[in-house]
Amino acid sequence: MSIDSNYAHPEALVTTAWVADHLKDDGIRIIESNEDVLLYDMGHLPGAVHIDWQRDLQDHTIRDYIQPEAFAALCAKNGITPETICIFYGDKSNWWSCYALWVFRLFGHEKVKIMDGGRDKWIAEGRPLTREVPHYAATTYPVPAGRRDKEIRAFYEDALAQSKSALPLIDVRSPGEYKGLVTHMPEYPQEGVLRGGHIPGARSVPWKEAVNADATFKSASELRKIYQENLGLTPGDAIVAYCRIGERSSHTWFVLNYLLGFGNVRNYDGSWTEWGNRVGAPIEKSV
Amino acid sequence: MSYPPKLEAIIGLFSGLSDPEKRETLIAYADQAKSQEPKEGESFDLEDIRKDEECTDTVAVFLRLDAQGGAHFRVTLGPQVQTLTKAMSSILCKGLDGISPGEILEIPADFVPKIVGAELVRVRSQTVYYLLTRMKGVAKVWLQRQRTASHQQGEASEA
Repeated sequence: MSIDSNYAHPEALVTTAWVADHLKDDGIRIIESNEDVLLYDMGHLPGAVHIDWQRDLQDHTIRDYIQPEAFAALCAKNGITPETICIFYGDKSNWWSCYALWVFRLFGHEKVKIMDGGRDKWIAEGRPLTREVPHYAATTYPVPAGRRDKEIRAFYEDALAQSKSALPLIDVRSPGEYKGLVTHMPEYPQEGVLRGGHIPGARSVPWKEAVNADATFKSASELRKIYQENLGLTPGDAIVAYCRIGERSSHTWFVLNYLLGFGNVRNYDGSWTEWGNRVGAPIEKSV
Repeated sequence: MSYPPKLEAIIGLFSGLSDPEKRETLIAYADQAKSQEPKEGESFDLEDIRKDEECTDTVAVFLRLDAQGGAHFRVTLGPQVQTLTKAMSSILCKGLDGISPGEILEIPADFVPKIVGAELVRVRSQTVYYLLTRMKGVAKVWLQRQRTASHQQGEASEA
């Protein structure tokens, strides 16, 4: 199956077949990012490196992302230069690969792609996995001038302003989380927050609506129907997407930004774990 | 609280390992998860097969009691189950093998971070605790059934 040429940026996706044919190409780096902390160790695409969303991309001492110096070091360690085409894939329908891609974009790395269908599709097609960890010659990656927080990331105050101004807010969590029926996501009851509900004015479009059963992204026409016809969004809208900790909303951010070509989409990565627990943050519930 | 000897031995093994060695050992245990599945011809005293909201896929727990009252578990895991949970299924099937259902209920979950290590016990890997909960649940049901059966037997003999 090929990539739908009607996407705004079809070049942002590659098929599993394409990756299989280009595993040894110079100038690309295949990057696995998963929720399952040991999945890479159980087997990964030949030549793929592992970037862990928590260990490698976050600074837990301040609940933030790493600084530009650490990003440059991470890329250098993995043999990545600013010219390297980084192809991300992973488990959970590419949640964490979209998240890692989004963080790479935070630091301005331009050449990024997602392997459509992710790890599950690769395995379902009987393609090879290996446990051999590749070692690439370290590169020199220039320290980015900063993070593009203002461009593609939203903070609490931004989401609050979005809500007060009745600008588009997309809640990509499950319907039960949006309605306030549960304070956690299905399958993760130990990750609850103090309050259930959603940001006032947010519309519910679960991330899952954007994917097919095999974890590939839906066609451009199907995505337009969901986000433009049904939700009424237009490519010029200033949009903020959120979930619980920013991974599912990274997936939707990728869809809106790369597949539909919306130019002003921000991911509120603090998401419901910040909003639902925060003193003074208004919420809505709907059943 | 002391742990059952077999589990204590596994905890001891992990406690001497560096974080990378722990990862490797967990992978080795995860690789063995298939060998903990029921074997052909085996029969069980209790089976609990379900997919619920605490795990990413179906988990089936099978319990057999030997003549001395020792518990023996078998576990079948769906393909989407996390690797840590797979590792824990091997660890628990081996570590709890032969102890009584009552003893299983008494085991605290605080050995999990000792095995897994602080780096891997984090957001989105908490399902590592799930399997112990399921095994305890099965042991509890078995004990309740035994008590009910004993009670009914007592009433029958009094009558």
